Amino acid sequence: MPEKSVREMTEEERKVNSLSSRTFQAVLILSLILSIVAIAFGYHLYSTGVRDQYMERTTSLAQTITSLYSSDDFAEYADKVMTIYNEAPEDVRNQPDSEAYKKLFENVADEKYMEILSALNQVRINNDALITLFGVLDEDNRHFVYVMNAEQIQTGVSPGQWVQIEPKNMAFMKKGKTGATSATLRMSAGVYVCAGNQAIYSKEGRVVGNIIVAVSMDQITDRSTKFICQYIVLLAAVAIALAYFTVQNLKKEIVKPIEKLTDAATAYISDEEDTDKNYFGELEITTGDEIESLSLIMADMESDINNYIHNLTAVTAEKERISTELNLANRIQADMLPSTYPAFPEREEFDIYASMTPAKEVGGDFYDFFMIDEDHLVLVIADVSGKGIPAALFMMASKIMIQNIAFLGHSPAKVLELVNEQICKSNHEDMFVTVWMGILDVNTGIITCANAGHEYPTIRRENGNFELFKDRHGFIIGGMEGMRYRDYEIQLNPGDTIFVYTDGVAEATNTSSELFGLDRMLASLDRAESNDPIEISIKLMESINEFVGEGSQFDDITMLCATYYGQNYQRKPMFKEITVDATINNIRTVTEFVDAELEAHGCPMKKQIQIDIAIDEIFSNIAHYAFEGTGKATVCVNIEDDPKVLTMIFKDNGIPYDPLVAKDPDVTLSADERSVGGLGVFIVKKTMDDVHYTYENGQNILTIKKIL
Amino acid sequence: MIINKAVEGTTLFITLIGRLDANTSPELEEELYKSLDGMDSVIYDFKDLDYISSAGLRVLLISQKQMNRIGGTMIIKHVNDIVNDIFEVTGFTDILTIEE
Repeated sequence: MPEKSVREMTEEERKVNSLSSRTFQAVLILSLILSIVAIAFGYHLYSTGVRDQYMERTTSLAQTITSLYSSDDFAEYADKVMTIYNEAPEDVRNQPDSEAYKKLFENVADEKYMEILSALNQVRINNDALITLFGVLDEDNRHFVYVMNAEQIQTGVSPGQWVQIEPKNMAFMKKGKTGATSATLRMSAGVYVCAGNQAIYSKEGRVVGNIIVAVSMDQITDRSTKFICQYIVLLAAVAIALAYFTVQNLKKEIVKPIEKLTDAATAYISDEEDTDKNYFGELEITTGDEIESLSLIMADMESDINNYIHNLTAVTAEKERISTELNLANRIQADMLPSTYPAFPEREEFDIYASMTPAKEVGGDFYDFFMIDEDHLVLVIADVSGKGIPAALFMMASKIMIQNIAFLGHSPAKVLELVNEQICKSNHEDMFVTVWMGILDVNTGIITCANAGHEYPTIRRENGNFELFKDRHGFIIGGMEGMRYRDYEIQLNPGDTIFVYTDGVAEATNTSSELFGLDRMLASLDRAESNDPIEISIKLMESINEFVGEGSQFDDITMLCATYYGQNYQRKPMFKEITVDATINNIRTVTEFVDAELEAHGCPMKKQIQIDIAIDEIFSNIAHYAFEGTGKATVCVNIEDDPKVLTMIFKDNGIPYDPLVAKDPDVTLSADERSVGGLGVFIVKKTMDDVHYTYENGQNILTIKKIL
Repeated sequence: MIINKAVEGTTLFITLIGRLDANTSPELEEELYKSLDGMDSVIYDFKDLDYISSAGLRVLLISQKQMNRIGGTMIIKHVNDIVNDIFEVTGFTDILTIEE
């Protein structure tokens, strides 16, 4: 499926791709990423800070406790407890919760002991600590033996209790033996504490025990979690606000101006009346950035385009005007050349045909023919130098001059001489024209000619071939003043044809850049079977077109053909013919072929139908009986004028059979006595004026004549 | 050629439009072969028949003979000049019953 153009999109479809929404998404995502990084980093900093603070606090608490009482007091109880601990039987000691074990220490907690214990507990409560205790590390057994445990104020005082120290916590415990330290410890599954550890030294410097203060990590975690929640809410609010304001700003600064540009472009495109409204020029975009530059450039472009359109409209109008005038000139020029055929229907002595096919709109070639009196026919063919309008104007002048001077009764040489004088007088553009001119005496067949630099004429004697008549050329007309031309005579006998042409014929070029040439021209002229000027000219034109094919025509192609018949010339009839398979289905084809000829000669409808019936009878006979299998039949048609007579010839090379020898059917018999055969030929005989059969060269030839 | 057919009782009406020639006569012959059984009367309307050739005459003769055989009637109406000329030349005017 092809993509929609922006113009075809709906408002909603465009929104999806809008800058605002894309920017909003981008800013939001960016803010989120930044937030997550900030939160992670902030959380780390915060929690580390809090933990450090706690650890410092527990350490200082532990130190504070050591200073509450003298080390002797601590040492006294430590020694008491450790003595009992060390002396206790191993099995009793290993069960610190047992009554037996507890009983061993029952005399330790005296008044002083309780006082210290209360102080410890006071510190614990005041500072929200989980544990405050005083104990001694039994390194060998990894036991930490409680001398005083503040918790026991609530649960029952029981000195000598010990806990097993996990190996990884041993470092912490040992360090406490030599000074102060702190750490986060795992007390049991899920319970973490932040603990401070301070050693108590006797006067002699001996470590008598350790004060341990522990604060629950839950507090720290709670504070961190609270911090994180606030932080996230704050950052999210900031991110959304930031995205929102960015988009608002973007809309104002970028999207709105771009929308203005889009609207202007849309209006410009949909404005079909070609008004000179400046859609971009009227925009007021003062963003001072690239968009403003863009709008200014668009405005410039718009005014440029408008100018182009103006120019284009003017140029197109001018072109159309010139084209119209050229066409008109072409028609005027064509009208100047005689082009109605037969040109002299009342003259039996000759027939003439000429044609010009211009290469451009107007050409520089021309032909002319006219009677200057009852007996003299003037023939002219000429080629003006150059092409187009100048050549056409020069051609008009030349043609008119030749005709006017010819009417004065001069010979061709004199006419050309006088025309040359006239043209040279005012020929400042150095144009020239080649002319062949002949004057035919229609009584004698003598044609008096003169040639001013034009191609050789060609002559065909009756029953011969066309040949160049290499006459003596004079100089071109318009080339030099004072030129003389020489007349020469050609005797045309009845049936002879003269053909003259311009160089466009020989120089017609095919796609392989080959020239048509004079040899091809002569051969093509000879293709005509009759000496009818129309047939000769058309055969040549067909050959040229076939030769040129897809090639283009560079020069005007002009030809003039005249056949001299004299007084009592018997013209050969011209037959048109069609050859088809001899089948019933082809009767229609033959009938249409003949009917076209009949219609062209204005045959009355009734006679046409009689002829159609005759064709039906004769051709169906050939189709049914001439061949055992299939074969072809040829039908030739000619219509003579004056009197109008149709001649049809049916030819086939089937079984020899003369349809005319059969006896005519007896048309007086009754229906039951009648046979169905023989009626067809009988109808033909009755409705046609002459029916004749011969068998020649292996062909049945049936000739039918009908007066129209 | 167009052949229009209608039957009323034992009467067959045939209207021919166009040309009854070597090409089209076999069509008419075929039609008659199919329709003529049981008919004792055939009425042809030649108002729009342009022309007729011997092939057409042959079919008319066959049709006339069949009617004669069973004692039926065959009538041809509205014959134009050209067709009438052919009928006259070939003596068919004496065989056929032609009505205006």
